[in-house]
Amino acid sequence: MDFGLLLQQTINALTIGAIYALIALGYTMVYGIIELINFAHGDVFMTGSFVTMWLLTTLGFQGTIKDPLTLAGVLALAFLVAMTVMGAVGVIIERFAYRPLRNAPRLAPLITAIGVSFILQNIVQSIWGPSPVSVPQIIDVQASFRVGGTPIRFLSIFIIVLAIALMVALQLFVGRTRLGRAMRSTAIDREAAQLMGVDINTTIALTFFIGSALAGAAGVVQGLYLGNTVFTAGFQAGLKAFTAAVLGGIGNTTGAALGGFVIGFIEVGSTYLGYTRWSEAVVFTILILVLVFRPTGLLGQQLAERA
Amino acid sequence: MRLLKLGAVATTAALVFTACSSSPTPAPSGGGGGGGGSVQEVKIGVDLPLSGGELPNGGPTLNGVKLAVQQISVPGYHVTVEAEDDAVNGVHDPTQGSKNISTLVNDPAVFAVVGPFNSNVAQAEIPVSNAAGLIQCSPANTNPGLTKGADGAALRKTNPTKIAYVRVATTDDIQGQAGADIAYNVVGAKTAYVVDDTETYGKGLADVFDSSFKALGGTIVAHDGAGKNVTDYTSLLTAAAAKNPQYVYFGGVTSTGGGLLRKQMVAQGMGNIPFGGGDGISDGSAATASSFLNLAGPQGDLNTYSTVAAIHDIPNPDAFKAAYKAAFSTDPGSYSASAYACTQIFLDALKAVGSNREAVRAFVTTTAHKYDTVLGSISFDANGDTSQHIISYYKFDPTTKDWAFFKQKDFGTAG
Repeated sequence: MDFGLLLQQTINALTIGAIYALIALGYTMVYGIIELINFAHGDVFMTGSFVTMWLLTTLGFQGTIKDPLTLAGVLALAFLVAMTVMGAVGVIIERFAYRPLRNAPRLAPLITAIGVSFILQNIVQSIWGPSPVSVPQIIDVQASFRVGGTPIRFLSIFIIVLAIALMVALQLFVGRTRLGRAMRSTAIDREAAQLMGVDINTTIALTFFIGSALAGAAGVVQGLYLGNTVFTAGFQAGLKAFTAAVLGGIGNTTGAALGGFVIGFIEVGSTYLGYTRWSEAVVFTILILVLVFRPTGLLGQQLAERA
Repeated sequence: MRLLKLGAVATTAALVFTACSSSPTPAPSGGGGGGGGSVQEVKIGVDLPLSGGELPNGGPTLNGVKLAVQQISVPGYHVTVEAEDDAVNGVHDPTQGSKNISTLVNDPAVFAVVGPFNSNVAQAEIPVSNAAGLIQCSPANTNPGLTKGADGAALRKTNPTKIAYVRVATTDDIQGQAGADIAYNVVGAKTAYVVDDTETYGKGLADVFDSSFKALGGTIVAHDGAGKNVTDYTSLLTAAAAKNPQYVYFGGVTSTGGGLLRKQMVAQGMGNIPFGGGDGISDGSAATASSFLNLAGPQGDLNTYSTVAAIHDIPNPDAFKAAYKAAFSTDPGSYSASAYACTQIFLDALKAVGSNREAVRAFVTTTAHKYDTVLGSISFDANGDTSQHIISYYKFDPTTKDWAFFKQKDFGTAG
């Protein structure tokens, strides 16, 4: 077995897995707090990639930025803008599409979510058209360092490190802060939390903001990595990320992250073995097997005590 | 009736005196149609992808039809163009194509149809036009299975003896050979990596490239299929790069991943490896939004080749180009002349036998008929395929940021 190739494919799997994991977190957080499968979440990610494309082209960047300081500044700006805009979009979606239906039968917000998904797709399509568009790749896609003769791209390392940093920050926020505690208590028992003085509406809006901001970050990363986006990108990625969330145990943020990486490895692994055409079939077969033998996912639902 | 001289003369004359851009005037009455000056309204139907990312394919092709209708008048008839769009969300769609052809079949004024552009759309349309007996001429379809062998027969099983689909583009069994010819003889590559988009056109083309490249003496290091949902080719390319191919061939169209694949090759350090594809990636210059060269990006389109399954050096290129430019203010697309030729053939038939659908169909598909078109002399064989087996070779030109024609090759009686 060629060690160098294995190493490169491992990095590829971690990179694509990091993107899935970032999106999966939003699915799992929303499900955890209001038990809604937010089908519009994949399209929030897609819109984030278009916002990035718009920002970079408006600023006049066409390709690689050579100067490290400028690059760091533009990257920070891109993440700030995409995460803030998409976070705000998430809050708006929650306020107008889901909050009025919070006490309705579960099927109603699910259908609304599908509707919101189409609305986002159609808005993006009407602004930027139905065809794939180029996203300026401001990080040099070829720049790499060598590990035992195998080139490893800085871009991949950047994406993996960034995704892990965001996930750790999320864990700390949910686990160690007052707002995080409010989120957890709302997830466990909404009424009891309210009685204890937690502002339910603000807490749920905050959950949507964070989840959507992470999807916005994934949108930036996708643009940098693939150099291209299209208005249907949210459906594919959303489906994979949703699968990742279920695989890891929906409602469980660590599980969602793990699920994202597992799907990255399954996809790259089937390519590695020469079965690219089968990668989606393999992903969903594994999902079915996991659900049959471990209905709560790999790490189990964190909210098991509620059921 | 070996050569339809009349049509040829009219065409050449029309080409020399560039088209007037005003609305088409009714044909002068009292011509061959006889009768006291009544002009019959007839339509040529068109089905092409006319929106989104495939507009660069469909638009210039539709213009070819419009130009022919503007330039060539048929006494006793006023011909208009009825265009349908088969792109859904920017991608050609077989279901939409079959709806469109039904719409055209149900319009009694339509006597012939130019289109479609994509092979999988043709697959959905041929059974409908065959059952209705409405003649279709595709300027661009190249999949062999549409006409040849058991696959072709299956598509026209309603009226097996009545061919209702002809094409002026030659087939992928020849285009794939040409792709292999570029890789092996022009570039000098001995090893190649092949990716196809798993669709009718893309996989068919890639399979012929695969076998032709081996027949020439080359080695295929790997052949992968990645459908249009694949956006990340990184892991495929990582695996392929380890096998050091000297050439990469893509069977598919831009909207199913061609540009993206070329762009991501650069990230894998494969930017200098020559890349080739068929007419599916020959869709306009880098300045055209969503074209292959546009999406492949500034580094990705060096050393890139494509083929077009049509003659480039048409008998009278300057006149055609000038007429086209006068009418539409741009240069013709790869298949504009082909669409013009389809329309010429239909107008010849209209002139000879009138607008009855069955008469037109029978006239066009008569194998003994030769048509002197803008592409040169063409006849159709018993399957409806063109007698012209010429492939044009293109290479990316970094100065103009566009495809530059460098050679055309006649594959003669092959295939």
